Amino acid sequence: MSCGELERLFLAGAPEQMSRAHRQECVSCASLGSDLESAERILSGLRPPAAPKGLIAVLKGIPSRTVNCEAADLLAAAEVEGELSPPDQERLAFHRSRCEACAEAAGILRTSRELASPAPAPWVMGRLAATRPEKKKRSSFWSLVASPKGAIALAYAAAVVVMFSGFNPADLARKAGVARLEETAKTSAESAGRTLGDRIGAFEEEAVRRLAVWKGVATGYGRAAITRAIQLVMKTETQPPPRPGKSGEEKGMLNKDEIQDVARLTPPQEELKDNG
Amino acid sequence: MNGTEEKALVERCRRGEDEAWRELVDRFGQRIYSVAYHFTLKREDAEELAQEIFLKIFENLHRYDGGFPLVAWIVSLSRNLCIDRYRRSKREKSFRFVSDDAVAPLLTSHDDPAAETLQKERTKLLFSALAEIPEDLAEILVLRDLDGISYEEIGKALALPDGTVKSRLFRARAEVARRIRERRESSGGTFATIAAVAGAFV
Repeated sequence: MSCGELERLFLAGAPEQMSRAHRQECVSCASLGSDLESAERILSGLRPPAAPKGLIAVLKGIPSRTVNCEAADLLAAAEVEGELSPPDQERLAFHRSRCEACAEAAGILRTSRELASPAPAPWVMGRLAATRPEKKKRSSFWSLVASPKGAIALAYAAAVVVMFSGFNPADLARKAGVARLEETAKTSAESAGRTLGDRIGAFEEEAVRRLAVWKGVATGYGRAAITRAIQLVMKTETQPPPRPGKSGEEKGMLNKDEIQDVARLTPPQEELKDNG
Repeated sequence: MNGTEEKALVERCRRGEDEAWRELVDRFGQRIYSVAYHFTLKREDAEELAQEIFLKIFENLHRYDGGFPLVAWIVSLSRNLCIDRYRRSKREKSFRFVSDDAVAPLLTSHDDPAAETLQKERTKLLFSALAEIPEDLAEILVLRDLDGISYEEIGKALALPDGTVKSRLFRARAEVARRIRERRESSGGTFATIAAVAGAFV
């Protein structure tokens, strides 16, 4: 055992004489000091083992056996193109046998070249085929109908025929909405009719819904009537002949009838004078 | 060679200059082989380990940024390889039962055969004791006392403060010294006979 002073002196870098002085005074450290001197004598008597000359030659030849990771990247790129010389192939293979990262990178590169081509979606080929330029323009009636403009014209024509026949598509939608409201109200009333409170609530709710339904019906019929009236007016109304406009001199002047009216309402000049 | 020169040398090696690589091997080859031998105590294993270390150096040249002394960077890079080999050698009892052949390359030549014998026995004892202390202590003792790597370089290689390096080194020496003494005491007869024959300083 030691009192620790020898270690403290060593860590502090104290001169050897101080350690010796302490060892003479401290019995526990005297033993440790003796052991240390003995080990030191053994250590100081050793020499480094001489490296074999063959080994040094082998070490100097390392660049011809392998590559570093940076060079491996470049060689890997050349390898993909099949442009690697046999010696470089060997160096690369040796490096990959020792470097997991480069070996993995090579594996991924190889995998990327072996991936299958994805099959196109069914509609892709048709769409691609449709992008071909037309060889000649179609000019027949049916080609005109098949074109987008022809389709729009046909749709307009069909709408006009339907309107002139008195059939209003909006009525169908309206009736369907009314039927849906009635059905909802009926279902709510049935499901809520279990207790008295529920029945009263359901009655109230049904009344409100029926009112809403009637209101919707009335409004729908009202709107339908108005729409129909407007259509009739637009159908039957004839444009009145344009009224001749007044010339600049005529503006502000009265016609004969107006003059007679004014004369009738205006008292004679004599009466005005007499009255002062 | 200062840090700038070392970085320039590594940069030349990285660019693929064969001459630069040969210079690097000339400068560090012997030293790295010595480290390898101290961690294996077998010539074949040491050669293999030294090759592994230099391969690793070559493959990692682009990682050297000049922030470390080159020897510290090399030690840091090869540390795991050395420790792995050291553990294998201990499992194979290369350290617990050190052979004459294992220590022969480490002995200085003597005119006196008896002195040579004594040094051989003591060296075997040293490595046996070394195998008994914790790895982190043995590692520092090998690097400092057997391979002559400075405190600063060891500190940088092992990422330890100087104080910790010195503290571990002191404990390693004390542990090894104590074990050497205990072994010598337990086999005192044999050792005393050798010492008497050698007429040496035991």
